[in-house]
Amino acid sequence: MENQINSAINAIKLLRSSVSNVFETTLSAQNNSIQDESSFLLELQDQLSTVDVNFKSIESTINALNVPSGPFTLGNTAVLNHEADPDRQGVYTDLVNSYNWYEKTHLYSALANTMLSQNSLKRSFYTSSNKRRRPTVPVNPAQLVDHMINSINTNNMTIKVYRPFGTPTSAFLHVNLSRVMKAAIILRGLVIELVTVKGFNEPLDSVDDHWIESRYAVFRKIQDHAHCAMLHFYSPTFAELATRSFITWLASYSNIFSEPCKRCQRFLLNNLPPTYRDFRSLEPLHEECRH
Amino acid sequence: MGVTILTPYPLQNKSGAEAIEELSKRLLALGATQAGQFLVDGDIFEHSFKKIKIHVMHNSEYPASVFSILDNGQKQIPLITDLIFDLLMLKVNPIYSSKKMIKIESKGPRFELGDFLVKLGSVTMSQNQNFKGILIEVDYRPCLVPAFCWDLIKEFLQGLLGQQAPTAIPGYFTNTLPSNNPNQHYHRFNDTYQPIDTVQQYLEHFNNYRKQSQAPTI
Repeated sequence: MENQINSAINAIKLLRSSVSNVFETTLSAQNNSIQDESSFLLELQDQLSTVDVNFKSIESTINALNVPSGPFTLGNTAVLNHEADPDRQGVYTDLVNSYNWYEKTHLYSALANTMLSQNSLKRSFYTSSNKRRRPTVPVNPAQLVDHMINSINTNNMTIKVYRPFGTPTSAFLHVNLSRVMKAAIILRGLVIELVTVKGFNEPLDSVDDHWIESRYAVFRKIQDHAHCAMLHFYSPTFAELATRSFITWLASYSNIFSEPCKRCQRFLLNNLPPTYRDFRSLEPLHEECRH
Repeated sequence: MGVTILTPYPLQNKSGAEAIEELSKRLLALGATQAGQFLVDGDIFEHSFKKIKIHVMHNSEYPASVFSILDNGQKQIPLITDLIFDLLMLKVNPIYSSKKMIKIESKGPRFELGDFLVKLGSVTMSQNQNFKGILIEVDYRPCLVPAFCWDLIKEFLQGLLGQQAPTAIPGYFTNTLPSNNPNQHYHRFNDTYQPIDTVQQYLEHFNNYRKQSQAPTI
């Protein structure tokens, strides 16, 4: 039924456009008095025949339409017909729009739900037993963090620990990578909460700087990849190993400007160097080259 | 501020304005946006009886600074000061006098393309604006060490200029400099880049243009 109505509306549109074509031709012929008469007549005949064809197609589509059997069941919206106030006459279109919008929201949320249930990215860890149903925060996280940082030994990389809020559970790691970039890793216990990536000459001293994006596109892109990596390496049971792998992965950015993409062997793609590092092999790749 | 590479662009029977227009079109086609104009100028003050020159230069990228380089023939000593240095130079006029005929400047449009900053400068000399050539400045802002990103900038220049792109590292970065340890070769290629490095590259090219037009001064 809907398809038929749609094709009928399309046929009407076609007819309207062909008729307006006829008027346009006659108007331009009137303006150009020198125009060749026979060619004008031929053109007009051509267009009139298209009008005829379009008209016939409308007739046929309308004949194919069924007469609706009974009144449409529109629920309460049918009462809108009785609305006399001209200000409220427009309500019906808004109503239809909002209905469509709700339909779409419903559809998208159902899709998102299936996607998310396939890829589990839960950031909190709960055991099945009722007794232990609380997030795992290590007994003395400050010592564990210090111990972990001291045991990480990577070239070109210096790591400093700050605890700006004086709490033992949260620590800020400031990572300086060669003379290339800076990164701040905010930890809760041994679990990474937030990563900020900046250029080597950008400020990262005050606490507020951790929430300001880098002014360079390269480092903004790296920060996006770092957030993906943070989720990729996340493991609540082996938090130390996860954080350690993340820092090793981050250290592979020391050659960001000097190493070409492993796949296309070029430095630049869309004016960006290879900003992606493979999670296993740590090979430099462009974002577009990784698949 | 990042690593800046300055390269002259051969004209190949085109006028300066034509070449600039062609390059601008190419940049816009690559997706660049024009971000204003720029100007770098250089002036020379000469000592009245010693063989000492002071190059006083301004760069519109650092509008509050004056870059001056003292040159006694063997050694160049750079100095970065506030704008008031210009007035000081006027005060010492009897000893150091400016040579208006060889005042040189490079100006033109300035483009932003991703993290790159590209400046197309047409170089003119003296007060009657003799056209000398075209200098292209490419600034890769996120990187601070020339050795890290030279290959990347080279690739960018090849994409922009094709055959005319430079293939060798500019001499300014590879020249060996005096260092404390005589066994160790030291040059600027591995140093952290400073704004004065841009100005000194301009000075080198300006001096080349000056030599083309006249016999070496003094």
